[in-house]
Order: sequence, then C-alpha cells, then structure tokens
Amino acid sequence: MKQIILDVSDDGEVRIETRGFAGKACLEEAQFIKDLLGKELTRNLTPAYYQDAKKKAKRYLNLCG
Amino acid sequence: MSHISKIEVRIDSLDALKLACHRLGFQFNQNQTTYKWFGRWVGDEPLPEGVSEEELGKCHHAIIVPECEYEIGVVKRESHYILLWDSWYRGGLKKKIGKNAGILKQAYSIEKIRAEARKRSYRITEKRTPQGIRLTLTC
Repeated sequence: MKQIILDVSDDGEVRIETRGFAGKACLEEAQFIKDLLGKELTRNLTPAYYQDAKKKAKRYLNLCG
Repeated sequence: MSHISKIEVRIDSLDALKLACHRLGFQFNQNQTTYKWFGRWVGDEPLPEGVSEEELGKCHHAIIVPECEYEIGVVKRESHYILLWDSWYRGGLKKKIGKNAGILKQAYSIEKIRAEARKRSYRITEKRTPQGIRLTLTC
C-alpha cells in the first residue's frame, strides 16, 4: 500500500513521510504537496529510496563445484 | 518509508485561508483594510521580515478571532500573503492561534492538502495526534 503521511504540528510545521514507494517514485509522488505548501527545508532519504523498483535481484549458480 | 521532508508553509491561496478560518470558527473579512492591534510599535519584538513600522495596522483582508480584542491582518505581497498580528497577551490572539500563528497555518495546510488530494483521488484520513494533526493519503 502506498501512502503519503503528513504531520502538521500545532506550530504550523509540516513533515511529509512517504511509505510503500521504491526508488525515486516517492519524491515524485510527494512533490505536489511541497509545491502546494511552500519550500522544502530538509529532506532525509531512507533505505527504500535506494531500491530501484525495476531492478530484479540476480541469482548466481555455483558452477565450479 | 522512502523519504521524509520538512516544509515551510507559504500562504498563497485565499480560498484555503478562508476554509481554514471556517474550520477554526474565525471570521474572514474580505477587503477589510485595517486590523485592530495595540496601535503603536513599542519595539519589544523585531518587526516581521520585510515589514516596516508604517505598515502595521494596515492590511488587504482581516481575520476576526472570537473572544479576542485584536485582529489578524492579511497582507498581500507579490505572489503570497503574510499575516500581521499583535501578540500582546491582552489582545488574546497568542492564546488562540499559538506562537507564529501556528494553529492558523496548520488549518491552512490541512485545507489546502485536502482539496488537492481530493482532486487527485487519494483516500484521505485525518487524525489528531499529541503534536498536531496527521493526514494520511492513500493511493
């Protein structure tokens, strides 16, 4: 399930978190919110960001005994 | 989880600001050109960035907050709006809208996100948390 979670604090600060996206899709999906609200102050990429959704894991067979 | 961003909110939609006022029970007065405040600047706090002393008390629209003596001025800049208001405790605003008008900015952000998320057919849930309000948009 793909989700964008927005925490809007009582002092007006907005924090965006994306879940369920792999690779750069999360940045693209959440960009409309950033454009909508103002200026991005900080960004932290999480391990899921570095996963390329299109790449498949390679398997190696041990051919030499 | 893929990434986390923090955003500085910029008010550029009067429609969303009106909805935010409605959500909070405030009254948005279109084209009200002055707002109530102490009346003279005493220099106890720095002026907001880009605002001169002569501009205080003048606005393009105003927000009336129930049970508050003072009002909020909505001042148009080139492509956005700034909020001018006097935080002196007797005016009552600080108690109602928080430091830096955070409660009003919060409501503005929520209304703006909700409107756009509806257009994009997201499923939206809203929940109160100890720190504020959490919106979850599900594709």
